[in-house]
Amino acid sequence: MFKRLLIANRGEIAVRVIRACRELGTESVAVYSDADARALHVLLADRAVRLGPASPAESYLSIDAVLAAARQVQAEAIHPGYGFLAESAAFAAACARAGIAFVGPPADVIARLGSKIAARALAAEAGIPVVPGSVPIDQRDETIAGAARRVGFPLLVKPSAGGGGIGMKTVREEALLPPAIAQARREAIAAFGDGALYLERLIERPRHVEVQILADHHGGVVHLFERECSLQRRHQKVVEETPSPAVTPALRARLGEAAVRLAQQAGYRNAGTVEFLLEGTGDQARFYFLEVNTRLQVEHPITEQVTGVDLVRAQIAIAAGEPLAWAQENLRQRGHAIEVRVYAEDPARDYLPQAGRLLLYRQPSMPGVRIDSGVAEGDDISVHYDPLIAKLVAQAETREAARRRALAALREFPVLGIRTNASFLMALLEHPRVVGGDTDTRLVDEERDALIARLAGTPPAEAMAAARAVPAAETGATGADSPAADPWSALRGWRG
Amino acid sequence: MGEVTDLGHGRYLVAGRLAYAAGPPQARWVFLDGHVYVIDVRPAAGDPATAPDRRHDDELALASPMPATVAAVNVAPGQTVARGDVLVMLEAMKMELPIRAPRAGRVARVACKPGQLVQPGIALVELE
Repeated sequence: MFKRLLIANRGEIAVRVIRACRELGTESVAVYSDADARALHVLLADRAVRLGPASPAESYLSIDAVLAAARQVQAEAIHPGYGFLAESAAFAAACARAGIAFVGPPADVIARLGSKIAARALAAEAGIPVVPGSVPIDQRDETIAGAARRVGFPLLVKPSAGGGGIGMKTVREEALLPPAIAQARREAIAAFGDGALYLERLIERPRHVEVQILADHHGGVVHLFERECSLQRRHQKVVEETPSPAVTPALRARLGEAAVRLAQQAGYRNAGTVEFLLEGTGDQARFYFLEVNTRLQVEHPITEQVTGVDLVRAQIAIAAGEPLAWAQENLRQRGHAIEVRVYAEDPARDYLPQAGRLLLYRQPSMPGVRIDSGVAEGDDISVHYDPLIAKLVAQAETREAARRRALAALREFPVLGIRTNASFLMALLEHPRVVGGDTDTRLVDEERDALIARLAGTPPAEAMAAARAVPAAETGATGADSPAADPWSALRGWRG
Repeated sequence: MGEVTDLGHGRYLVAGRLAYAAGPPQARWVFLDGHVYVIDVRPAAGDPATAPDRRHDDELALASPMPATVAAVNVAPGQTVARGDVLVMLEAMKMELPIRAPRAGRVARVACKPGQLVQPGIALVELE
């Protein structure tokens, strides 16, 4: 096992990896930008090294800065988390050249699967169905437009690089194609430095189902079943669960087998996720390969909760050369787990990201509830990074019990000082179609107005009374850096 | 609502219910039964001390809602715009945030340039 591991990330995922290191007896080294000098991951790690200014390009995205930090502390391994450099083939290659173990697949595998165009070809070679579409070799706008006419509308314009729905555009009629191509290309270049685009027929009302895989360096590959991630707003997942209410045992076997076959075909190593679109229901449902995420997923905890496998520890063990500890037939799903992502965003204002100070932040503590978070009360949520505040995972014997548990936990999770989507998540968990497991990737966007209508309106008398009771000079629960006493005492009313 | 007991650390017992509350000088944030309320405790409108924040929607729509970077400025002074036109494209937290014209009109002033970091509430474009 490694003596010292550097975590090239921040926030909740850095905290998650630090905790795994502690359990393994591996020394953890955090890295940070100037905006994160006092962040939770820095406080929790055994050591911490400054990378640079707040801007990601000069800190968490800087291969040179991260490798310099790793050399400085003589780290034997680097865990990239998700986002930032996690899917950078150049970073994985640079680690290899520096003699540092990269906790992830080899650079050539990341490069091949990171190109969605190449990944589609690989899936087709492995005999796995892909969404009908077109991959224009000539990337001029006119050529792409011509290809779009052949694919037919509605369709999706997708960047070959990246993920998270960034740069992906739905186009329902030809007239809207030119601006969609231009915007997709602009966003793809800005986010990933690669403007290559391809087209896919839009599958109406698909479910998004993904399969977790683990592959060691000795030829062992297993899958850890599926995660259903259909509840997305603008291609950003907000609620995930496992097992999927739509996946039958026969379909589960086919999905798992396809994911393992793809991993073998790709020479995959370490943890990864094979994403599929699911069309229809029951044993006859059709699935299409979407892409492979060559890293740990944000939503990995739900798989951990139902399989009992610690994916982060498994990742580190695989990177250290250990064989997989489980055979496929020993892996089981037990009960049900649901994750909700609490974001600093305002659903009523088009999910606008929010920045500011967490005046009060209290995580619930109750049976079957796990919170993965990288923040603490008094922290500033900055404009520089992802607005994820916490992942709340509820686990229970059945789906319905897990759903109710997630709701109960959100009801005991006060986050004040920054608007969050917590009430929106509660409304979503109570939506009849979510209650019934009848979800698809368009549900959140279509039901947005109905969900927002259920958000808190006029404060009840109890809330007004509590507001009045806050001492005038208090600037937060911490009482830190209080300016002059608040001269105002009368309540004027409430704001939105 | 007479009975409020301060339990300390931002916790309040209000008519037998547990509420959490915190606040900077201008507003109070209250958490009750899973819902968050932002309650403005400043004096009534008309007080000059509150003037800077008393913008009407029209002006607010032309300001950044949060700290952001200006990705593109699509208009110049004197230009006529239609309702819904994207005047300025901002970028924050990996997302594009379009600032759209709340009504048709002529651009009187452009107060930002590409690459600039802008703060919330400050007008980016003014319409005549």
